[in-house]
Amino acid sequence: MFRRFKRHLKEGILGVFRHAGLSFSSISAVMITLLLISLFLIITTNLQKVSEKIEGSLKISVLVKYENESEADLKRIREEISKIYGVVNITHHTKEEEYQYYIDTYFEEQKELFKSYEDSNPFHESFMVEIQDARMLEEISVHILGIEGVFDTNYGGVSSRKLVEILNNIRIIGLALVISLCSLAIYLVYNTIKITISARADEIWIMRNVGARNGYVTAPFLVEGVIIGIIGSLIPVLLTIFGYIYLYKQTEGYIISELFSLIQPLPYVIELSLILVGTGILVGFVGSFLSVNKYLRLRR
Amino acid sequence: MIKIENVSKVYKNGTHALNNINLFIKSGEFVYITGSTGSGKSTLIKLLNGEEIPTKGLVEVNKVNVGILKHNKVPLYRRNIGVVFQDYRLLKSKTVYENVAYALEVVDKKPEEIISRVREVLKLVGLNDKANSFPDQLSGGQQQRVAIARAIANKPKILIADEPTGNLDPKMSDEIITLLEKINIEEKTTILMVTHDFIIVKKRPKRTISLEQGHITRDMIFKGVKNV
Ligand SMILES: Nc1ncnc2c1ncn2[C@@H]1O[C@H](COP(=O)(O)OP(=O)(O)O)[C@@H](O)[C@H]1O
Ligand SMILES: [Mg+2]
Repeated sequence: MFRRFKRHLKEGILGVFRHAGLSFSSISAVMITLLLISLFLIITTNLQKVSEKIEGSLKISVLVKYENESEADLKRIREEISKIYGVVNITHHTKEEEYQYYIDTYFEEQKELFKSYEDSNPFHESFMVEIQDARMLEEISVHILGIEGVFDTNYGGVSSRKLVEILNNIRIIGLALVISLCSLAIYLVYNTIKITISARADEIWIMRNVGARNGYVTAPFLVEGVIIGIIGSLIPVLLTIFGYIYLYKQTEGYIISELFSLIQPLPYVIELSLILVGTGILVGFVGSFLSVNKYLRLRR
Repeated sequence: MIKIENVSKVYKNGTHALNNINLFIKSGEFVYITGSTGSGKSTLIKLLNGEEIPTKGLVEVNKVNVGILKHNKVPLYRRNIGVVFQDYRLLKSKTVYENVAYALEVVDKKPEEIISRVREVLKLVGLNDKANSFPDQLSGGQQQRVAIARAIANKPKILIADEPTGNLDPKMSDEIITLLEKINIEEKTTILMVTHDFIIVKKRPKRTISLEQGHITRDMIFKGVKNV
């Protein structure tokens, strides 16, 4: 068993080097494909994380006009908001609470300074409205603005609806690119193996004539395809690991703001590497498998 | 051992290569198959080793119905049959020893077994001293003997030789027939030899099956012509 495996491995490696030029072209194709897959994965998974973060805080803050601060008005506004489809929860914050929160957060040391302004509190009575789905932010916000007595609404600094849209577009374009590149890589592997098969026609003929099993005849070619896939994934894996760690260090984990924090390099880059190697092996295997099925004519 | 009943072979392009052939060959026989080019000799061989499927009729070898063998069963079946061709088909990059060993390696024989069997068959074909030579350093007759050694290495029950002497001069041809006779007796291998060469057929009379345009026209022994 081990002897046989060693033999197939040897033949497979020999096959790669026998047609170095051809192998090089399919290895390069696998390499480029995997580099793009890596880039694509890094962008989408990081954006995914950002959008999840935004979706985690699906809140609209609603400010009430100064002239509608009566108990009755606040109760009416709250009820009207609660009737809107997609609203999950509403909490009321008084203008005093907001004022206190503002001072506590930003002016811890100069509290005394603000004592004198306490009577002319510039804050609004407000509601924090939690909603179900980021895609409804805009719609619900517009709806709330239409309620009598509402001064203004605010939600997350970035339009997460736009982000979700961008993410979807990147996914679609990226996926189409990855699929077409994979197909090209598979085709090149297919051709490389085809040439190896014709170069080894004599040996194949003898093997089949003396009754070598089909699996025995095909194994070296499948091994060759897989080796092409593995070699093709080496550089993308190294670039991904060191490139991402470098990027993470350079940006200290943030791009633009805290909202756009990058995913921690570990174990993220390891997971990415496994995906890349796995894809490389799959591409090599599928390419050689198709070639073997077409050109070895194991069926009679 | 070999039973062929009402067998016809029509190739995809419409060529009728064999027409309603009936043939029975016993274990241990040595049979010549003769006929002009295109008469269907090679087609008959391909039906026997499972390379082609009969369009009609039964091809049975060692009780195996070859025509209905699943494609993944063909390799094991082929280990029963050794084949030799006019053009030797040796691997030029391998030595004589390696060429013969190759046939055993690819059917997963153990290394010790391979070493002793290769020695044995090389001795049988008289090429012990050429074990480390390359095919290009050998005469045609010697190359054909390597091909024969390779074909019988795995101890097939049947050895089929498709015009094995086609490229050889009479003296070398004679040596090859002598060798095949030796294998027939010593290894108890059934031998089917396709040949054009009537000198051989007359000099070494054996059961001779003649094919013409896909039909068997004669099945007899040419006797009493030994001193041609
Ligand atoms: N694979 C094939 N496809 C179509 N026709 C074939 C094929 N092989 C052989 N033939 C035809 O079948 C006939 C018998 O061929 P073959 O068995 O090779 O004869 P022989 O070996 O006696 O010369 C010939 O007419 C040949 O052209
Ligand atoms: Mg022929």
